Formats: sequence, C-alpha cells, structure tokens
Amino acid sequence: MLIKSATKPVSVNPLKVGQPLGGVLALQGMYRSMPLLHGAQGCSAFSKALLTRHFREPIAVQTSALQEMDVIFDADRNLEEALDHIWSKHHPDVIGVISTALTEVAGVDFQSRVKAFKRERALKDSLLFSVSLPDFHGSLETGYSSTVESLMDAVLGLAGGKSPKKQRRTQVNLLPASYLTAGDVMEIKDIIASFGLEVITLPDISTSLSGHLLTGFSPLTRGGTPLDSACQMLESSCTIAIGASMERPARRLTHAAGIPYHLFAGLSGLAASDAFIHFLQKISREPAPVRFRWQRENLLDSMLDAHFYYSGASAVVALEPDHMLSTAAWLEEMGVELKRLITPCSTPALQKTEREVWIGDLDDAEESAQGVDLWISNSHGRKGAARAGASFVPAGLPVYDELGAHTSVSVGYRGTMEWVNKVGNVLLAERGRGG
Amino acid sequence: MEPAVSNGRLEVSCGNKIPKSTPCPRPVPGEASGGCSFDGAQITLIPIADAAHLVHGPIACLGNSWESRGSLSSGPELSAYGFTTDLGEQDIIFGSEQKLHESIRYIVSRFAPPAVFVYTTCVTALTGEDIEGVCKAESERLGTPIIPVNSPGFVGSKNLGTRLAGDVLFQHIIGSTEPEQTTSHDINLIGEYNIAGEMWHIERLMQQAGMSILSRITGDGRFREVGWAHRAKANMVVCSRALLGLAVQMERKYGIPYFEGSFYGAKETSYSLRQMAYLTGDRDVERRVDKLAAREEMRLSLELEPYRKQLKGKRAVLYTGGVKSWSVITALQELGIKVVGVGTNKSTAEDVSRIADRIGDDAEYIPEGGARQILKTVRSRKADMVIAGGRNMYMALKEQIPFVDINQERHKAYAGYDGLLSLAKQLVHTLQHPVWELTAKLAPWEEETEFAD
Repeated sequence: MLIKSATKPVSVNPLKVGQPLGGVLALQGMYRSMPLLHGAQGCSAFSKALLTRHFREPIAVQTSALQEMDVIFDADRNLEEALDHIWSKHHPDVIGVISTALTEVAGVDFQSRVKAFKRERALKDSLLFSVSLPDFHGSLETGYSSTVESLMDAVLGLAGGKSPKKQRRTQVNLLPASYLTAGDVMEIKDIIASFGLEVITLPDISTSLSGHLLTGFSPLTRGGTPLDSACQMLESSCTIAIGASMERPARRLTHAAGIPYHLFAGLSGLAASDAFIHFLQKISREPAPVRFRWQRENLLDSMLDAHFYYSGASAVVALEPDHMLSTAAWLEEMGVELKRLITPCSTPALQKTEREVWIGDLDDAEESAQGVDLWISNSHGRKGAARAGASFVPAGLPVYDELGAHTSVSVGYRGTMEWVNKVGNVLLAERGRGG
Repeated sequence: MEPAVSNGRLEVSCGNKIPKSTPCPRPVPGEASGGCSFDGAQITLIPIADAAHLVHGPIACLGNSWESRGSLSSGPELSAYGFTTDLGEQDIIFGSEQKLHESIRYIVSRFAPPAVFVYTTCVTALTGEDIEGVCKAESERLGTPIIPVNSPGFVGSKNLGTRLAGDVLFQHIIGSTEPEQTTSHDINLIGEYNIAGEMWHIERLMQQAGMSILSRITGDGRFREVGWAHRAKANMVVCSRALLGLAVQMERKYGIPYFEGSFYGAKETSYSLRQMAYLTGDRDVERRVDKLAAREEMRLSLELEPYRKQLKGKRAVLYTGGVKSWSVITALQELGIKVVGVGTNKSTAEDVSRIADRIGDDAEYIPEGGARQILKTVRSRKADMVIAGGRNMYMALKEQIPFVDINQERHKAYAGYDGLLSLAKQLVHTLQHPVWELTAKLAPWEEETEFAD
C-alpha cells in the first residue's frame, strides 16, 4: 500500500462528490423506488441535476426540505411529513431515507423515526429503510455501497430472516459496483445469462437508466429490480460481487442465508474477463459460448492493432476507487505508464493494492499531468487536461459533455475492446497532431 | 407592460417597492423541487470571472454543483475553479476556522485573485463558525478583499439566495473602486449572467447605439468592474426579480435610476434599448436606438418570415419559473406561437400579472406540481411542444414531446434580435425533426399482433 495525499489545506477542483449522491444512484436501480434525502432542498436538487445531466434520464429523488428553524426545533417532523406525503401520494415499493451532512451534524435520530413510521403504518409489502451517509465521509462509491448494504438488510428483514426452503442451483445474484454504467450492467447480465444462469441484480440501473421510452409520468423510478425479485435473492446459489466496494453487501447475504460470494475487483481487461468467464464456466458447468471465443480473439487482435499507439504512453487516472483500480488494470495490460492514480477517498481495497495511489482532487491530477499523454476522469477534468496539454477521455461520473457515457460498455472482452479502441483513437489523433 | 422606471420623470415609480422580506412559503417536504439559497448565491456571484469562489462546508455543496451553469467568460477562468474546504468529521468536531484561514491564504498566494468569496453552507452555519471574522482578519492580513457570503442552503429558496448575493454586492463591493473613465452613456446590466454568451449580443447592440456597459452584474463580470457600478447613469435589471432590491438600494444611495426589462423577443429588446437610452438623457443616443431598432426589426422580420410560417399557430407550454415566463411569452408570440400553458411556480404576483397582460385567460396557469402538471397541460391543451428548463427535459422526451431548453444550462443564446432568430430556428428544427415520427412508430413485431387476430 502506498497511499499519498497532497498537503494543501483546500480542495481545488474536487473529484469527490457527496456520499448521498451514491445513495440516490443506488436507489435508481430499484423498481418504483424513491430516495428521500433528509437535508436542505439543495442536497436533493444538486443530486438530481447532476445525475440527470449524466444519465440524460429523469431521476427520482425527494427531500425533507429542511429550513433553519426545522433543524433547530425538530428536523424529523419534516421527515415524517415527507414520508407521509410520498407514501400517500405515490405508494412506492421502496423508500430509502438518506441522511446528509446537515442532519448528521444536527444529530437527529432519524433512524428511529423511520422505524416508528414503519411500525405505525404497518408497512408490510413495501420497503422503508434508512442509511446514514454524511457528506464528510467517503464519496460516491461508499455512499452507494452503504446504501446497497442497508437495502440488503431491509430485503432480508422483509423476507423474514429465515433460510429459504429451496435453493436454485442455476440462479445467481449480481451486485454491481457504483461505477458500472447501465450498459455495463446489461452486458454483465447478458454474459451470465449466456451460461444458462438466471441472474438477479441488485441494484439494477440497466433497466431504469439505460434509456427506455415508457410513457406515463411517475416521480418514482421506472425500472430497476422489483422488490419480489430482490426477495428471491435468498434462493440463489451464489452471489457475484463486482468491485471491492460490493463485498460488504455480498457478505450480508452470506451471513444471513449462507449464500457464498465471489468477488471480482473489476471486469475490464483480458485477465479480468478471462477470470470471469472461467468462473462462470465452473459454476454453470457449461462450456463458454462460442461468441466469447470470438470476442476474446477480437480483443487480442485489437490490442495488437492498438499497441503501437499505446506503447510509451503515460496516463493520469482520477476516478472513484474501484473504478480507478479496474481502469488501471486494463491500461497496464496495454503497457501504459500510470503517472498518477488519484481517487477521492481511501477504501480497504486501496490499502491492499500495490500501486501508488493518491487521495486528492483534479488539481493534483493537473499538477502531475504535465507532459502526460492521457487524462482519464469525469467531465470536470476537461479544462485541467487542456491546461496540462494531456488528451482527455471522460469516464466516471459526471460525464456531461459526451453522449452515451452511461450506456458505454467497459466490461468483458467486448467492453474492453471498446475502450482499447476508444482510448487508442485518442492516442492516434494525438500522434497525428505530432504530439 | 408598464415599465418600472424610477428616474423621477415618469409618474409611475417603483422606487419604494423594495421586495418585501415576507418569508417565502415553506416548501412541502416530500414534494419540493428547486435549489437552495446557497445555490442562488452561487449562481449570482460565480459569473464574476476573475474572483475565487470558496465554499466552506462538506463536499456535497460544491462537489455536486460546480460547473453546472452556462455562464461564459471572455477572459479569466478562475471562477470556473471549484474551491472547497471539503470538511471532514474532525473539522466539524474541532472547528474549521483554522482550515478556512489557511485555505484563503493558499488561494490568495497561489492564484492572486482580486477577491475571494467565501460561502457559508448549512453545516458551517449550524456549527457557528465565525466566517465573517475570518474573512475580516484575512482581508486585513492579505490586503485582498475576502468577502463572506452568508447564504446557507437552509435559509430558503434559490431566489432568496440570489437576493442575499445582491446584498453582498451592495454592501461589500459596489462603491469600492473607481472607473478609469466614464461616459454619459454608461449602463449596468444587473442579473444578466451571459448564458451561452447572450450578454455579448446585447453589448454589441448597445455599442451600435452609442451606449456602453459600465459593470456587468455579473455575467462575464470582473471584480473591480463591479466595484465601480455606482458611477453608472442607469441600471437595467434583466429578468431578475430577486436582484431588483439591489437596483432599489443603488437608486437610494447613488441616485441611479433603474428599469426592469428583458432581451427575449425583438419588441422587448427594442423596448429595453429605448429605455436605456431614455435614462441616459441623451437625445442623440435615443435617435440612434430608434434607428437601430427600426433597422434590426425590419431585417429580423424578413429573416424570420420562413420560420414564422412554420411556427404560426403552434401551441407551447412554457415552464421556466420566475420572470422568464413573461419575457419569453413575448418572444414566442412574436413568432406566432400560442402559449397555452405557463408555469407560475416561482413567479411573484407582479410576474403573474405581467403574464396575464400578455396571454390573458387563454392559457392554463401551472402554479405547482412540476412534471406531472406540465404533462397534463400539454395533453389537455394539445400543445406541440414544451419550453422549459433542463430539469424537465427528459420528462418531456420520454413522452415524445418536442422540447426546447430555455434555462441556465443551455448552450444557445436567445437574447436580442439575432437571438430571436436563433430561437425560431431552434423551434422549427426541433418540431420538424424526423425523430418524432420514428419514435411514434411501433416495432414490426408489435405491429404483427394485428395479423395474429
């Protein structure tokens, strides 16, 4: 482990976003759900605007709309009012109450208020849970995984906490990390299904944020995992967690229902894709479908074609922890020198990596990007990359100045090939300019 | 519309109509939309392009919001940098004033900005940080104005934040510098944020008529330039109720007359230019404006002709919130578009009466309800399109309703004479796009069920 951080007192051009944003994102992957941010109006307005810009889709989120006097006197009265309002008006299947820095600092006991609300209303067939996500810890990834963990607990609670009667050998659970796009999740589901396995994904943004044309407006999410599917996760034979941040939610299922889990740090790159396909072959006891043989060869061929442009290239990568590790993995396969890896917060997975990682902001990226060929970060990095003279490739969240970021695929052989070519094209263009 | 002119020469003055500080209606928990006061303050001050803007609070306030506006700068880019103290748990427990001191010093020593704005957020307001004290101490120590912006999110709505930012401008900045030279035709634009470069269009028009902008408040603004705003001959408040108070205060203290206007539509543009010219008191400028307006309106009407034909009788639902509602209505009407529904969620009573002046009872007023209510109006009034802010864009697209973005995030300039032409083109291109037919068609396998019967 080699974690470093810059010593400046102020964050300049932050890479970090608030944890609650991750919570809101996770809940977009539940069917008919509503994340409720317990905070000031801006907390939800900013989250909504940011996610809408990134996904180019309507985003479900509400707020307890705290004002100064509410915080001083009784913030939870607002929460109850909000819950009441959402419940009676929209009858969602899932409400996740997410705290913010404001409510955490005010020290309100919102969790017990949520429980009381649940008891009083005798909510049986729907899910109401809360998660504590102060903005002064973590970032998007930690907010997302904590929310999935709380959601998992709530699902286990709804399912009665008892061991399932039957176990389905061909049914598996998938827990995708926060950085995976709607296109990625769809691709992973597809890969798993092609081995004759049924897969239940939690949360599943591939059916809510990939772009559908369902008409009939609803303020709730219009896709994602249905609650009854989520309850059936207890009958699965194993859980596949993608991204180290999803290990804790996966472990919950192991503890509660004895379902083993398998963790994949990422699915980008040849080695990661090979490991995944090999694993699926083992658990399904089916040979890999012939298309993966083709895809693997296509990928290798693309890597050969592209290696001219990658060799000798250097990069700065500034992304959320799991995303950064997964991106670093395939860039290393392409022989890219990783000049600096930057991530907004420390996680257990970072403690284990042998790479040198910086906890920092996009200003740190800019400082190290002089003379570097590539800069990979969210759209906020574009200006810094231009100042440093590095070619910019947007990734992560938010990406608002490029179409299709939320459906682009970076997992498996096909997804890796897409990125090898995409980044390769940037390097090729740079070479064309004599860079 | 009766212009609100307060130079003493017109009988109707709104000089005493300072926006009342009656509390805004409390937002309904679970059904609230829109930003907070911190957001409003940022929107107003960040366009001051050469200043540093430092957010004192946990990451979300800046991290989730920066670079989300389309305000353009012709030069300095410092205000596009995101600065935040990014408070951690320890900072909150043990206090973060020291961190704020250090952050300000760091920014000033590294970037040498003409000023630093320091924004309070809910958390730092709640923990009782003495931000004003820190700013005062650092101003003295560094010799650079460090300006506290006390508009934490939980004090109220976005509009309140804008108004508080106006107070900051008035109390801390305006009157702090002197211009190198002034003319008798100097105007301040207040509340024009140079979205997609709109201000530059307006500036060109003003120059053609022999007028100039003394202070840009705040689109493409500079800190020192805002400081000498008190030397202008007149203030124009551009589509911003929330900054009207600033104009009123400037009138009281410096005797600068002001008026409210807009640059959406040829008529409003001509009106605004005339009003400015009138307030400069220079007959020659007035004559030049008349000529300019006549020429531009003539040219525009020729160029608009083909688009007007295609837009005539089209029905639109407008949901922009606030003052833009009435100003955009005029522009749409000039294009022959019928406004059949209009959002009044953020409008004041005065805005609503202006809307009524323009469309009477023909349209449905949408006071609240957001997306659901907009859609209902589109259906019941058989509208052809929705014109609104980005927040509602994808809702409209899901329902396959043609949509034109009119708010702060957009990338097209619609102000001035050329702006109206751009708007007309945008509307026609949107309505005629082949995608609407394609999305309305069923997939072949869905059509086949008819044969199966």
